Amino acid sequence: MDTIVRLENISKLYRGVPAVKNVTFELKRGEIHALLGENGAGKSTLTKIIAGVVDATSGKMLHKGKDVFYATPNDALHAGIAMVFQETSLVPSMTVAQNLYLGSEGFLNRLRGVYISAQQFLQSLNFSVDPTALVETLGAAKKQMVEIARAVHHNAEVIIFDEPTATLTPEEKRHFFALVRRLKARGVSIVFISHALEEALLLSDRITILRDGELVASGETKDFDREKIIAAMVGRTLSAELYRQRDDKKIRRPGRKVLSVQDISMGAMVRNNSFSVFEGQITGVFGLIGSGRTETFKIVSGIYKRDFLRGGTVELNDKPVRYVVPRQAVKDGIVYVTEDRKSEGFFETMSIAENIFGGLLAADREQHSIINYAEMREVAAEWTKALNVRAINDNARVVELSGGNQQKVVIGKGLVQNPKIVIFDEPTRGVDVGAIAEIHQIINRLADEGLAVVVISSYLPEIMNLSDRILVCRQGRMVEEFSPAEATEEKIMYAAVH
Amino acid sequence: MTIFDPLLDFFRGRAVTVPPLDGAFRPNRALDNARLVAEINAPVDMAFRNGAIVAAAGNALFELLENGAQGVVATFSAPIAAMAISSAGELAVACENGELVLDGAAVKLPPEVTCMTALSFAADGSMLVANGAAGLRPSQWRTDLMKKGASGSVWRLSRKGDATCLAAGLAWPSGILAAGSDVMVSEAWNRRILRVSDGLKPAAVFSNIPGYPGRLAQAESGALLSIFAPVNRLIEFVLQEDDYRAAMMEEIPAEYWIAPSLASGRSFLEPLQCGGIKTMGIHKPWAPSRSYGLIVRLDGDFQPVESFHSRADGHRHGIVAARALGDTIYAASAGGDAIVAIESGQDS
Repeated sequence: MDTIVRLENISKLYRGVPAVKNVTFELKRGEIHALLGENGAGKSTLTKIIAGVVDATSGKMLHKGKDVFYATPNDALHAGIAMVFQETSLVPSMTVAQNLYLGSEGFLNRLRGVYISAQQFLQSLNFSVDPTALVETLGAAKKQMVEIARAVHHNAEVIIFDEPTATLTPEEKRHFFALVRRLKARGVSIVFISHALEEALLLSDRITILRDGELVASGETKDFDREKIIAAMVGRTLSAELYRQRDDKKIRRPGRKVLSVQDISMGAMVRNNSFSVFEGQITGVFGLIGSGRTETFKIVSGIYKRDFLRGGTVELNDKPVRYVVPRQAVKDGIVYVTEDRKSEGFFETMSIAENIFGGLLAADREQHSIINYAEMREVAAEWTKALNVRAINDNARVVELSGGNQQKVVIGKGLVQNPKIVIFDEPTRGVDVGAIAEIHQIINRLADEGLAVVVISSYLPEIMNLSDRILVCRQGRMVEEFSPAEATEEKIMYAAVH
Repeated sequence: MTIFDPLLDFFRGRAVTVPPLDGAFRPNRALDNARLVAEINAPVDMAFRNGAIVAAAGNALFELLENGAQGVVATFSAPIAAMAISSAGELAVACENGELVLDGAAVKLPPEVTCMTALSFAADGSMLVANGAAGLRPSQWRTDLMKKGASGSVWRLSRKGDATCLAAGLAWPSGILAAGSDVMVSEAWNRRILRVSDGLKPAAVFSNIPGYPGRLAQAESGALLSIFAPVNRLIEFVLQEDDYRAAMMEEIPAEYWIAPSLASGRSFLEPLQCGGIKTMGIHKPWAPSRSYGLIVRLDGDFQPVESFHSRADGHRHGIVAARALGDTIYAASAGGDAIVAIESGQDS
């Protein structure tokens, strides 16, 4: 296989701080190359240099043997290098088809022709997305599909996927893997960034691992296993403690029933859903995207409203509650840690301290009518220490933090409210392995302290490792409950799918 | 909950809710995996005498031995409705026609007692009787539910022949058990366990049960509660629709009503509800069902500790009696036509 892209001694400095240090990286024609590393390891920066999104501070890039410099992503795209971003770069107010053809439309376009062609193209990729739908109406998974389709549509010979499967369901992932293999068969080179190590091991031909901006390992996938990758990524062995089958003796017994949900309904998304949540226990909730698990818990936490007519009942400590706004739920001790931290979890331009203190204000726990900055810094320092949030200082803006540290800020913003029930929705999505372990420790600690904890996750090993009981949600209702000792991935998936 | 909710509920209708099967009610397959002791057609009750199981079915009492052999102990002029055996070995049998027989002799009953659903002996030798409803037979339990009846009562029959009404106006009392000087009663249609104490109003000790509670039996450090049918949203909805229910009762045979049942899937004429229909050729265990198998172990305070299930796709439904002998729980499944034994430590 000949080399299509080669980076030689590439470095990138942000305000003098190196994000990538002297990395030499080679991508061969027609290979799937997994790029792994913790958040902040420099994966995204490296691939952004290839795709012309950021400029390297030093080093050079060879594309088909020629020394090149792509000033813009459009230059790279025209040269055959496309990047599918973690955060979608679609135009929300345009339709799927319009987004697909954006940048390559003709002078005059027949709308019907565009839609038909888009429909055929999406079908060829096995993506069930309506080409006439506005992108803003699509869920995260479908947006990701459109983003992937757009890259494929531009006939790129190098496609870079940044966390492509984070928002996809297992079924959608299978389609995606098949698509990647088809692209490979057509001679397309793929760079694949993922936190799901199994995916990298399953899909890739070669693996490159970065740590703190430096290349620490690179080679054929067959020479790697999960342990080896994690050891290279974090410099320590975490896998065994992260994802293991729960020992029956270590499963926490249920305490008092604090939340009883009976037959709540919300449109077609949540249908007669019933379950309970107990103190001192982690209740894991698994379900595919669209199974109504997030919506159910958003109803519980007052973000969504259940049906007005025959919408069921929610009882908190045996008392019926019907929240009109989330603030009432927060005051009752219910905290919902969102799955979409960027748009719902924090104020990205505000500092860590302001974000954490914002949680305190939301719970009406602040006594004074004027904000005391000293107190704010004190509270923030306490929580950043407790949650091990790594930042230059408390004044750092949340947007400048890595995904794992951003998530810890969101968690801190909730925990400062002194909750009784904490609902984590996809707590480790887009978070590196090291931070996953820390977040898992936080979740376990909360349950050990006697709080009722709910963890919603699409990642089965996470659910099986964390939960003291596992609920499976399908088509808007909990259909099955498993003890982690008896649960297997097959059993859970069977309940979730069939 | 806003202060307007009770007012709004008047207009929008109260939400039909069914308690979730979780916590102590977490579903398993203990009843389906239980050892078959004997196949017996539609058992109605069971008890132990000298270590042997005595089960009632139809007009006869059978003695079942561990080797599977069964012999008829006694026959009666009417189908048996309930039975009890005292610690001294006395056998009491209540029949569908309102007769009560104690060791072969008829017991004189007050005229109100015509529908005996459960019998039990108190420590002082007196007999406790649950009388399901006034003017109905025990087998007409569906009718009483659909009529939203609340004419049941519980009685104490002393050795001298005196009858004392302990509580009245109950919605189908279907289980009775002495607990010290008090009497515990399962009130089926209100889905709760009541404590009946002398001179006091019956007090609920365990309510919002996710099924219709039936017979109670003593067990080590607590009790066993048989739940003979599940609560079902469709049935709860039908119970809110008075005109529909009246028409259904008038025009359709009782076994095909949208009502709880001790068994289901035996006739294509039975009502089905969404998941009750098979999906991809498989009957889902979580499908809504008119019948279900459920036994609950209660602690000394009559709170649930654990449960044993036969789910929607199981066959051992309609548990009419459950009794403990040592570490083993024996159960009579009317829907499964069987007496089964749940061994301690068995795979659930």
